[in-house]
Amino acid sequence: MAFADDPADVQNRNSVRSPTSITWAVWKALLLREAVARLSATRTAWLWLILDPVVQVIFLIVLFGFVLQKLIGNIDMGLFITTGVLGFGLARNTAMRIKDAITANDTLLTYRQVLAVDTVLVRAGLEALLFIISALCLFTGLGLIGYQVFPHDFLQVMLAFVALWLAGVGLGLILSVSSQLIPESGKVGGVLLGPLYFVSGIMYPPSAIPPAYQGWFLLNPFVHGIETIRTGFFPQYHTIPGVSMGYLLAFVMVTICLGLALHVRYATRVVTK
Amino acid sequence: MIVVDGVYKRYRSDHGMGKWVLQNVSFTIPPKLNVGLVGRNGAGKSTLLRLIGGIDIPTRGLVERRCRVSWPMGFGGGLAASLTGRQNAKFVCRIHGHEEDLQDRLRYIEDFAELGESFDEPIKTYSSGMKSRLQFGLSLAFDFDVYISDEVTATGDAAFKDKAAAAFQALSDRAGLIMVSHAEGTLKEFCKAGIWLHEGRAYWFDSINDALTEYKKSLHR
Repeated sequence: MAFADDPADVQNRNSVRSPTSITWAVWKALLLREAVARLSATRTAWLWLILDPVVQVIFLIVLFGFVLQKLIGNIDMGLFITTGVLGFGLARNTAMRIKDAITANDTLLTYRQVLAVDTVLVRAGLEALLFIISALCLFTGLGLIGYQVFPHDFLQVMLAFVALWLAGVGLGLILSVSSQLIPESGKVGGVLLGPLYFVSGIMYPPSAIPPAYQGWFLLNPFVHGIETIRTGFFPQYHTIPGVSMGYLLAFVMVTICLGLALHVRYATRVVTK
Repeated sequence: MIVVDGVYKRYRSDHGMGKWVLQNVSFTIPPKLNVGLVGRNGAGKSTLLRLIGGIDIPTRGLVERRCRVSWPMGFGGGLAASLTGRQNAKFVCRIHGHEEDLQDRLRYIEDFAELGESFDEPIKTYSSGMKSRLQFGLSLAFDFDVYISDEVTATGDAAFKDKAAAAFQALSDRAGLIMVSHAEGTLKEFCKAGIWLHEGRAYWFDSINDALTEYKKSLHR
C-alpha cells in the first residue's frame, strides 16, 4: 500500500481481524441480543416457550382424542400428539421466526460487520436452542407423570428432528430474502404454512387417509419427518409406505442451497432499500 | 485515507431504477483531516456517508477504506429500540471484537453519554438528543481512524456539543471526521475541508468556508 511508512497505517494493518473472527464475534453478539429480545419481550415470554406445545397437545387430545385412540391402537395418545406437535412446530416456528430476522435487525445493519444472512442464521440457531430447552422440559414432565419417554431408536428421532429444523431453516432462508424483495411473498408463505398444520398428520395417523390420497399427502415434506420420529419412538407403530427421510433431506438440500444462493445474489439489494 | 473513485449511485424504486443520486464522484480524504459535507436536502449526503461507511455499495465505481472507519452515526441508526442503552453498547463492543475489555468500554460509554439511569432503559424511551449522546459515546469508545457523523450533533444540547467538540479536539492528532450538518457553526467548528454535493456531483474545497460560500450561492441562484 502507498502508506506503508506511515506508522499509524502499519499498526492498523497488523490489528486487522480475520473475516472468520469478525463473523464469529457478530454471531455471538447477535445471539445474545436475540435471546434477550426474545425472552424479555413480555414478562412471561419464557413461560410460553414451554407452555405453547403443552397447550396444543392438551387441546388436540380434547378435540381428537376419542377418535384418535381408535386409529392408533396401543400407542399412547399423549406421546403420539406430542411428537407431531413438536416436529411440526420446530419446522414451522423456525421458518416463521427467521423469515422476519432481517426486518427485526434492520437497525443493526448499520454496522458493516453485520450481514443480513448473519441475522437469519443466528435466529435459526436460537430457535434450535430454545426448542431443545422446551422439548427437554416437556419430555421430563411427561416422564415424571409416568410416560415412557425414551425412544427405542434415539438416533433416528434426533435425525428426524434435525432434518425438520433444517427444512424450517431452508424455507426461512428463502422467505427472508423474498419478503424483502417482494413483501407479499412473505405473507403468502406464512399463510401457506398455516393449513399445513392440518395436513401433516399431527393429530391423526397418515394410515387413516384413504390410500388413493396418500400420494398427495406425502408431497408435504414435514409428514416424512414427523412419521420418522414416530417410528423411532414407538417400535410397534406402523406408518404408511412411501414415508422416507430421503425425500425430506432432498427438500432440505434444495431449500437451503436456494436460500443461501438468494442471500448471495441479493446481498446488497436486501441492505439497500 | 479514504479513496472514492468514480462512484455512481442510484436506488431501485417500485417503478424500476431511480434517478442517479451520485454521478462520477471522486475524491481522496487524507488521514486526520476533518471534512464537512454540504448540500441541499436530498443532494446525496447521507448516501455518500453510507457508501464511505461500507454499509451500502456503489452502483458503479470504487470506495476504498485504507483505515478503520466508524459506522455512520445519526438518526438513531444502529440502536435496537427494544434493548437498553447498555445492551446496545455491549452488542457494539462485541461485534468490534472487544469481548475482553468490555467493562472498560462500557464504563467509558456510560461516562461520555451521561445518561444516568436511562442507560439501563430501552432505547425507545430515549429522546433524539439522548440517542445522539449514546451514539457518539459508542463510536468514541473505539479507535477508529475516521469517524462518520450524520447530523449526530444536531439534536444535542449545548453541553453535549461542547463535549463532542472537546473530544474531537483531543482526537485530532490521530483521527479524522467526516460530517454532515446543516448548522454552519458546527461545520466551521469541527471541519477544515469541505465537500459540496450539487446535482449528483461532488466538489472538493480545501477550506470549509469556500464550500459553504459555494453552497449558499447555489441556494440563491
